Amino acid sequence: MIKNLLRSLAAALVCLWWPQLISAQDEKPVAPVGRTYALINATIVQAPGRKIEKGTVVMKDGLITAVGAGISIPPEAIIIKADSMYVYAGFIDGLSHAGVTKPKEEKQEKPKDPGNPPADRAGITPQNDVRNWLNPNDKSVEDLRNLGFTVSQVVPYGNFLPGSGAIVLLGGKSPDDMVLVNNSALYSELTGTQGLYPNTVMAVMAKWRELYKNASLNKSYSSAYASNRSGITRPVSDRILEAFYPVIDQRIPVLFKSEKVMETQRVFTLKNDLGFALTIADVKEGWPIINKIKSSNAKVFLSLDLPDEVKKEDLPAGQAGKKDDKKGANLLAGQARKDSVKTETKKPEVKKEKTPFDLEKEVLEKRKKDAIALYTSQSSSFSKAGVEFGFSALSAKTKDIQANLRRMIAAGLTEDAALTALTVAPARILGLTDRMGTIDNGKMANLVVSDKPYFNEKAKIRYVFVDGNLYKMEAKETKKSDGKVVAKGNWSYTTESPQGAGSGKIVIKEDNGNYSGTITSASTGKETELRNISLDGSSLSFSYDYSMGATVKIDVTVKIDGDTFEGTLTAGQYGSFPIKATRDPKSK
Amino acid sequence: MKKIFLLLALSFCAAWAVAQDKGNMLIKNGTVLTVTKGTLTETDVLVKDGKISQIGKNIAAPQGAKVIDATGLFVMPGIIDAHSHIAIDGINEATSPVTAEVAEGDVINPLQISIYRALGGGVTAVHAMHGSANAIGGQCETLKLRYGTFDGDAMKMEGAPRTIKFALGENPTRVHGGGNNIVPRTRMGVEFVIRKSFSDAKKYMEDWDSYNKNKLVKGFRGAPPVYNLRLETLAEILKGNIIIHCHSYRADEIFMLLKVCKDFGIKRITFQHVNEGFKVAPELAAFGAMASVFSDWWSYKFEVYYSTAYNAAILTKNGVVTSINSDDAEMMRHLYHEAAKTQKYGQLSDDEALSLITINPAKQLGIDSRTGSLEVGKDADIAIFKNHPLSIYGVPQFTIVDGIVRFDRANDPADMRLMVDPKQNIDEPTFIEKGRDNCMDGTEFLFSETDKK
Repeated sequence: MIKNLLRSLAAALVCLWWPQLISAQDEKPVAPVGRTYALINATIVQAPGRKIEKGTVVMKDGLITAVGAGISIPPEAIIIKADSMYVYAGFIDGLSHAGVTKPKEEKQEKPKDPGNPPADRAGITPQNDVRNWLNPNDKSVEDLRNLGFTVSQVVPYGNFLPGSGAIVLLGGKSPDDMVLVNNSALYSELTGTQGLYPNTVMAVMAKWRELYKNASLNKSYSSAYASNRSGITRPVSDRILEAFYPVIDQRIPVLFKSEKVMETQRVFTLKNDLGFALTIADVKEGWPIINKIKSSNAKVFLSLDLPDEVKKEDLPAGQAGKKDDKKGANLLAGQARKDSVKTETKKPEVKKEKTPFDLEKEVLEKRKKDAIALYTSQSSSFSKAGVEFGFSALSAKTKDIQANLRRMIAAGLTEDAALTALTVAPARILGLTDRMGTIDNGKMANLVVSDKPYFNEKAKIRYVFVDGNLYKMEAKETKKSDGKVVAKGNWSYTTESPQGAGSGKIVIKEDNGNYSGTITSASTGKETELRNISLDGSSLSFSYDYSMGATVKIDVTVKIDGDTFEGTLTAGQYGSFPIKATRDPKSK
Repeated sequence: MKKIFLLLALSFCAAWAVAQDKGNMLIKNGTVLTVTKGTLTETDVLVKDGKISQIGKNIAAPQGAKVIDATGLFVMPGIIDAHSHIAIDGINEATSPVTAEVAEGDVINPLQISIYRALGGGVTAVHAMHGSANAIGGQCETLKLRYGTFDGDAMKMEGAPRTIKFALGENPTRVHGGGNNIVPRTRMGVEFVIRKSFSDAKKYMEDWDSYNKNKLVKGFRGAPPVYNLRLETLAEILKGNIIIHCHSYRADEIFMLLKVCKDFGIKRITFQHVNEGFKVAPELAAFGAMASVFSDWWSYKFEVYYSTAYNAAILTKNGVVTSINSDDAEMMRHLYHEAAKTQKYGQLSDDEALSLITINPAKQLGIDSRTGSLEVGKDADIAIFKNHPLSIYGVPQFTIVDGIVRFDRANDPADMRLMVDPKQNIDEPTFIEKGRDNCMDGTEFLFSETDKK
């Protein structure tokens, strides 16, 4: 009773807030008086290498009805003067969670036998349909659309086999309104569940094979049964196995997230063993195995995420000695330690000789910089090797995507190739060429309009059309944030290791610049005190002890960016793992 | 700057290209420790297409072949580590007492720097093993250390027999009985789990055999049995297609598993660690079981208190094919020292001691027809030492895999990583812990649970 009351109260509150929410948005769907638009006087890039100066695009009822210079404009059209602006086909993203609601994590009791957990606890839910979680009003839809993306292949949250994906429009009135293609792919990740079978990558791969084989057996027995039901046992009805049927029939591909170079090759192992059609997405380390990718005939979406560039202030410039006394220097030559002692005595700064530590650090920094360059030039390498690819936004921060595209172009990707990867190529990969990818008569009215060429650093997006609906961006100056980085707050973190994904809470408190805090693992519920918490610029580091029979010291170093951080968790000889977190903004 | 990227990229491509290459070379004028055919002084070894094609004096170098002057150096077969956990991502699938279906071959990581470090210790092949958390763990993989490739499959020793990890005693009982309160909690439970698994596999095999037979009958429309990769793998053990490598310490449990194997007709088994092997050496020899031991590591837990440094020598003298392994990325780099300890504790001859790290582990992995000794026709997996490898002054100079130099002490760059983490913080100290039993890697979450209780 009380619950119901509360619920209706909450609903009423939402209603009250609704108009304000609308007005708070940077863009507003223009009232749908008519669905006929004419963009005039614009530079129209119909497709990479196909350009019309001072041209017009006419759209009607969600379709492009005319493109060209000097064409007649229907009288009912709403005219948008796009003088000196640039028009491109709407961008297509190969893999994201845009508009997909993340199911709430509930702390569940550990199954009695971790070796045989219920399928959903083990991440085995291929029968799930991403449409059940779609929400066109989710902020991620708007975020991606604001960059010029009009279509995305979206998948449910989860690990191992979260469900089937769909190709959706980034806009719409209802979840169904967004959907262009349902069950576009069976989505999978080579990630297990911590503490439950399958936990490790090798067990995930073993289970994958077993499920696929049983699906094949079940499928052929079911069709034998369907042809003559008399006298034989009925086949079992199994939604998990049935979800594989369209894959077995080669009607849809398996869509694998495969960021890392080893992960991608493991996915290929499964593909070669089982023979399914494969799309690899969010590829971040594809260049060392480019020939293998090419000969695999897998469809490819490269990640729009890139490692941060090394900033100038991060480079060693003789000041490396400063922190050495505390950190790794004592592992190196004794000379380095002596030098740090010198620094401590605060003698007047003399141009001192580089210590072995400085020299080693310089070499390592340089290799790191070279490594980052390899990541940045991945798309250019693929382009040069003649491997067709689109992009995926899954793990990229939306605010970095345009800058990352520019970094790729600076690293050798041609602008035409970049545009291809955003339009024509993903349309082809996803089987949408008849509907999108270029600005031509009869295609869907998915367009992006920017005030300067899209890849120009100063370009701002002015209009985006999704399915003929106009979204207008105000040409506002970007507000400069005060740039103050705060460590304090309640953070929810996730980590990934070969042993599976982990998650939990980190609470950091600040008292006059002194930090304290705790970390609580979601799987064990155990709370541990954090030590050596320090914030240097945007770099936050801390350590804590993890008990696993013996005690292991865990070091965490992350970069804070707004209410998120990303970095590395190092667990001694067990290796280093990525850690990410988001902060409850109210807890700052 | 661009040039550097290009060079870097090219060097990666080059590494890729040579991954499965076989080399040609002439090793001149060394003291050749064949291990199986005696020691030959001032002798040349000719390598053609990755194989040893000739061993003798004054062999003329083929045109264009690489020549290594081994004057004053010792040429021995590449060292083989029969128990290692390097070059793999994930050691224990610790969620179930039986995980025969998982395979380390799926998660080879050829980028690990420990591979290069092992080469620096003269190691050319390792047995990359699943851990010891489960009574029946996962399948292991025999790898050749072809460092430089990005392709995990290129590391696999093609044609090496399949192997699987078993474990007895404290580890599986602690993880499953102690950690999850399921069978096995005791040594009796471990035996039960293994026997039940084999019985289930037998039944499974029979079900499929009868289904496959019935399918040939005209008009048969029955349902196939449910496919079970775990039982499928266990059935392969019963058929003799997979060699068991069993983590074990105590004599009673070793004897127990011998009886289980006898009951199920399993013939190929190597016991790992086997600290109390000296107590059951004649029984092991009579069965044809083999033993892979530490030279002198013990008392790190209760079940390994009753141990002796004479273990390897006693097993050897009783006719058990014995090897010395590392189970540890650091110890792997000086297995030749570990082998030499048997000369102090047990007075083994040079050939007997060297066999512990060459031909014997090769036999245990079923690859002795191709590696483990310097003989014509075998793979050119070779380690070249300055000073005798069993001397405390022995230092590896070259390590050669398939006739390709993978480690050259004179040309040993400081940074041999194939892949650099672009997010790595360079200030970060890498701290090294030694002596941990890697066998239990990946089971930590269980013990934090236990601590809580």
